[in-house]
Amino acid sequence: MSTPLTFTTGGTDVLAAAGEIDMSNAATFAAALREARQTAGTAVLTVDLTGVDYIDSAGLAALFPHVEHVRVVANPLLAPVLTIAGLDELTTIRE
Amino acid sequence: MGMAAGGDVFAGGGDVGRQLAEVAWEQTPLGPPRAWPQSLRTAVSILLSSRFPMWMAWGPQLTFFCNDAYRRDTLGRKYPWALGRPAGEVWAEIWADIGPRIETVLSTGQATWDEALLLFVERSGYPEESYHTFSYSPLRADDGVLVGMLCVVSEETERVIGERRMATLRDLGSDPSAIRTEHQVLAFAAAQLGRNRRDLPFTMTYLFDGDTVRLAASTGVDGHEMPPWPAGEPARGETALVELTGDLPAGDWPEPPTQALLVPLLRQGGAPYGFMVAGLNRYRVLDEAYRGFVELAAGHMAAGIGSARNYETQQRRAEELAELDRAKTAFFSNVSHEFRTPLTLIMGPLEELRSRWAGQDDAVRAELEVIHRNGLRLGKLVNTLLDFSRIEAGRMRAHDEPVDLAAATAELASVFRSAVERAGLRLQVDCPPLPGPVHLDRGMWEKVILNLLSNALKFTFDGGVRVTVGQDGDQAVVTVADTGIGVPPEEMPWLFERFHRIENARSRSNEGSGIGLALVKELVELQDGSITADSTFGVGTTFTIRLPLRAGRVPAAAGPVVSTGADSYVQEVLRWLPGDADTEAGMPAGPPSDVRVLVADDNADMRGYLTRLLRSAGHEVHAVGDGRHALDEARARTPDLIVSDVMMPGMDGLELVSALRADPRTAGTPVLLLSARAGPEASIEGLEAGADDYLVKPFSAAELLARVRANVELARLRNHHARWRTALIDSLQEAFFVCAEDGAVIEINPTFTDILGYGPEGLPYRPVHPWWPDPVEEPQRHQEVADAFTLLVGQTRGSYTIPVTHRDGHRLWVAAAFNRVREPETGRHVIVGTFRDVTAEHYAVQRDSALAALSVHLSEAESLTGAMRGALSSLQDLWQATEVYAVVFGDSDLPAVTTTGPGTSWAALTERQRHTLTVLRGKPLLTPVAEQTGITLEHPDGTMVLHVELAEKRSFTEQDQTLLALLAGRLGQGLHRMHQIDQQRETALELQRAILGPARLPAGFAVRYAPATRPLKVGGDWYDTIPLGDDRIGIVVGDCVGHGLAAAAVMGQLRSACRALLLQNTDPAHTLTALDRFAVQLPGALCATVFCGVLDPATGDLTYSSAGHPPAIVTHPDGATDLLDQGRSRPLGVRLRAPRPEAHYLVPARATLLLYTDGLVERRRQPLTTGIDRLADTMREGRADGIEELATDVMSGMAADAGYDDDVALLLYRHPGPLEIDFAAEPTTLYSVRSTLRGWLARCGVDPTTTQNVLVAAGEACANAIEHGHRHGPAGKIRLWASATAGHLHLTITDSGRWKTPQPAANPHRGRGLTLMRALMGEVTVTTGAAGTTIALQTRIPG
Repeated sequence: MSTPLTFTTGGTDVLAAAGEIDMSNAATFAAALREARQTAGTAVLTVDLTGVDYIDSAGLAALFPHVEHVRVVANPLLAPVLTIAGLDELTTIRE
Repeated sequence: MGMAAGGDVFAGGGDVGRQLAEVAWEQTPLGPPRAWPQSLRTAVSILLSSRFPMWMAWGPQLTFFCNDAYRRDTLGRKYPWALGRPAGEVWAEIWADIGPRIETVLSTGQATWDEALLLFVERSGYPEESYHTFSYSPLRADDGVLVGMLCVVSEETERVIGERRMATLRDLGSDPSAIRTEHQVLAFAAAQLGRNRRDLPFTMTYLFDGDTVRLAASTGVDGHEMPPWPAGEPARGETALVELTGDLPAGDWPEPPTQALLVPLLRQGGAPYGFMVAGLNRYRVLDEAYRGFVELAAGHMAAGIGSARNYETQQRRAEELAELDRAKTAFFSNVSHEFRTPLTLIMGPLEELRSRWAGQDDAVRAELEVIHRNGLRLGKLVNTLLDFSRIEAGRMRAHDEPVDLAAATAELASVFRSAVERAGLRLQVDCPPLPGPVHLDRGMWEKVILNLLSNALKFTFDGGVRVTVGQDGDQAVVTVADTGIGVPPEEMPWLFERFHRIENARSRSNEGSGIGLALVKELVELQDGSITADSTFGVGTTFTIRLPLRAGRVPAAAGPVVSTGADSYVQEVLRWLPGDADTEAGMPAGPPSDVRVLVADDNADMRGYLTRLLRSAGHEVHAVGDGRHALDEARARTPDLIVSDVMMPGMDGLELVSALRADPRTAGTPVLLLSARAGPEASIEGLEAGADDYLVKPFSAAELLARVRANVELARLRNHHARWRTALIDSLQEAFFVCAEDGAVIEINPTFTDILGYGPEGLPYRPVHPWWPDPVEEPQRHQEVADAFTLLVGQTRGSYTIPVTHRDGHRLWVAAAFNRVREPETGRHVIVGTFRDVTAEHYAVQRDSALAALSVHLSEAESLTGAMRGALSSLQDLWQATEVYAVVFGDSDLPAVTTTGPGTSWAALTERQRHTLTVLRGKPLLTPVAEQTGITLEHPDGTMVLHVELAEKRSFTEQDQTLLALLAGRLGQGLHRMHQIDQQRETALELQRAILGPARLPAGFAVRYAPATRPLKVGGDWYDTIPLGDDRIGIVVGDCVGHGLAAAAVMGQLRSACRALLLQNTDPAHTLTALDRFAVQLPGALCATVFCGVLDPATGDLTYSSAGHPPAIVTHPDGATDLLDQGRSRPLGVRLRAPRPEAHYLVPARATLLLYTDGLVERRRQPLTTGIDRLADTMREGRADGIEELATDVMSGMAADAGYDDDVALLLYRHPGPLEIDFAAEPTTLYSVRSTLRGWLARCGVDPTTTQNVLVAAGEACANAIEHGHRHGPAGKIRLWASATAGHLHLTITDSGRWKTPQPAANPHRGRGLTLMRALMGEVTVTTGAAGTTIALQTRIPG
């Protein structure tokens, strides 16, 4: 069973992901991010990861090219990983 | 139930109670016990519960009851027959005595009391004399009517009879008069024996009289005709028992004895005096006490006879002595008279000859003078003896007459004037006239004064002698005072004793009989006077005589006062004085011989006589006057023979001999002693002092010359004898040596030289002898020899075995025996010894004992290592080695080293030691190598080198090498056998392990089994895990009773049964219940204990039931402990019907469950709970460790020093068990792996944050592994393994690829992966090997 991951968009500047992000689907996540950035244009893209239960370095690697243009919302479970990755400044933790 | 209730009456009655319960009571008037009235039941219960002897009678027939104590003391063979019978039947034989008493009790209700009543009971098969003190008291029925009686009785037979016998023995010993005649003794003893006609109905005492036997005394016979007695055994000192029949005296009894004892009257160190016949009491058996009594009585009699005979003998001897004394006095008297006649006939003609030869031939005249002087002396001695015998016989009468004492005394004193002056002394006479006469016997007075003067002159060397006469009241006082040597104070009391002589006093002559002063005293007292002596040692002596002065006129001198007898005194004294040159003329000289004789005698006449006699035989003679001069002369010019008088002033003959013998120059000179003292004692004394011969005066000239000749020839022969002795000693097969007292070897024989290599040229060999072992090289051996040497010079005789060193250096063992003897010629002590070479025997013994010691070590060892250590220590002891090494060159890289010292290893050895050992290794097997003091042998693991490190300079001889080879051979065999035993033991343990548990354990479990250590034994403990169909796991720990293969076999069957039942039931209680049924069919399975549980490893839910097993222990992550002590019930196979309980328990996350058998916690003298508490502590301390490590720690931590006494099985489970996932190296597998890990972490009770951290870290590791997997082909596999302890999580992710070096530039997120892992986990370890890469992660679980 492959790792579940679904996306929903809320307006032009929000990409919400649900499921888990790992090596097997990091490319999907990266593609979704690129698409959402194009949609958002110059606006800051909100990447809503509150529905994501797991993200590893492959998932984070997809986020890094966009750090200047995104802000991240995540549930507390992901907080340590995001902090270690140096993404805490652009991340809002929400229950 | 009826029986039980009836039986209760007799409960607590011991054996008697049980027998009472057996009685057919329904056939007695009392009926069955259940129907007994309360009063009877109470009485019986009191009776049985008492420890004092009692019996009772109840009911119309007086039915008999008794208790254990009565049965023991009194009932004898009547038990158990008597129980329940009518008392009149039980005690029929004494019913006449006790019946009326019981009757009285029953009719009056009054208790009776009898003390020590004699009763003839028949309890041992014969009517027996017995004494009882007892009381009968009434027993009443429930309604108060008298129905029985209770007897409390104390049997006193032993006491009464014992006291009676004691009284007889006391009377026998109470003989009031100390000494009696034999007849009196026997009469007295008979009187005492006759008073005890109970123990001794009759006695007859016979005495042996040469070959005949006579009756000396008897008691109780009273005119009966007695049978003849066999005297043979008593005559040999043995006791005999004789059977009797017929009409014999009965003593105090109605019937006569049926046996008599014949006891010898023993005499110490001789045949018996006789024997005593004792008729025996037929109402007592002849036991030890009875026999002892009769023998003691006989002993008393024998002792009495002995002392009576002794006394009679002494009495007779005293009478004989008195008779002898009377005879002696008569003899002296007669002999003295007889002497006088020949003396007169000698002296008469002699006077005539002297006057005829006066002025003519000098030689003849000189001889006549000698004869004359000695004739006078003999006459004086005879007169003195005669005086004495007269006094003794009371026949001495003083012919008193009035005498002018002053004048008479002065005249007597003047007789001695010339002699005194010639001795260089002054004589002072001060005798003023007295107012009255003194009544005296003139002859006696003359003897008194002359004796005193002679005595004074003899002991005075300077000054003078003073004689005074004076008056003191009504007494005349005469004193004779000298300035001589005086008398030592301790001798004063004996001064006037007859024959008493002061030893060693300096005197002019040693002549004298010692009766002079005694005679003086007797004579003075015969004249109503008294004499006293006053002396200061070294200053002088004064004798004071007091005589009563009479009234009347002093008579004028009547004729010559001094008799001719006075001349003999003066002549004698003159002979003591110097200047009277020895007359050497006389006998013609014989043919000259080359024998030089030295003569020593204080008497000038004797000296002259001996000189002339010996010269006549042609000897060269030198004569001296005392021992001192003789010694000086002998030392200056050793004579061929010394002839010496024994009694001489200064140094006497015996002292002379001792002095001669002590000096090596004169030690061999023969000495012939002359003495006037006859008797064997005197000659023995002389010979003991070292004299060669002894001649008693008077002797004949021919005898003297013969003895002189014989002794001279013997002395010459002695040299010849010495040659023969040397030849004898030289021919001895044993080494012979003579040591001086200081231990210096002064003589040896050739065998000595053969054995030790030291020859006579080196004599003397002074200690320390050159053959002693070197004190530096062999301090112990040296000490052994030093100890033996102490023995040699310190003891009179002895033997020892010691190591010695041959002159060429080789080691020998010799066994020596020595004896201290006195060298006859010198009187000195020397040590004579022999020894032989026992080297071969010594090594044989050493070899045998070393082999024995080694065998003991090998047989006692429990393992190969133990055997080796024991063997090395025995080798160390044998050679007193500093250390012994055993090095096994086996398969491993480094040789294995065992030593007698503290533990060491090959690496710790010195370069030199390693070299030595390596050299030895190259030598052929079992061939001793002297240079390296070692040997090689086969060890089960390879070649073993044995190296004995000797103390410095200690040599390793050929014997040592032989012994080492022998021991090494034995050790090799031993080690191989030991190895086999070890293997067998391993096999046994493997076998046990194989039957006690599953080959594969489910995850999360650890198990251990240990057999009992000492002695090593397998047993009946087991553990088991059984995977059940529903993913649950059956867990079982059990313990069968007993040890050994039998228990193990039972265990195997129980385990299999339990396994099968659990698979069928999956319910612990039912399983155990079914196992109960199985256990009752299986011998040895009863009472086994089992803890049976079913665990759901997913949830930790545990259902369990315990069959008498110790509670399982659960340790929580925080250290809290739960004991699973519910669901408990009896061990297997006990009371089948009751259902077994079951309990539930939820094992918390990361808690550890421990099942075990009681061997783990059971310790002697400790409650089980102590062990369980300790076990809980151990578990708490180890809760952070891995499960295997914890299992090992528990096993070692709980063991006593010596290991386990009982076998131990344990089973550990930590919940949840570890997670193990194998998956393909594909990214798509990651999600499911993560899900599984998440679920496991939840079971571990891990918080969400930590869970997330672990998931990410593990995910990164897996991702990394997948990348490796891709790189190295498509079929890569990855394994994830995770386990939890109380506070930590451990994960490993293993792949078969190679770790990717972080290259952030090329692949930035991979580098982040490692960063993430490190940030999220407490510890990350990456190990890359040829086979793949392992990432180990570890993190703490908070909380």
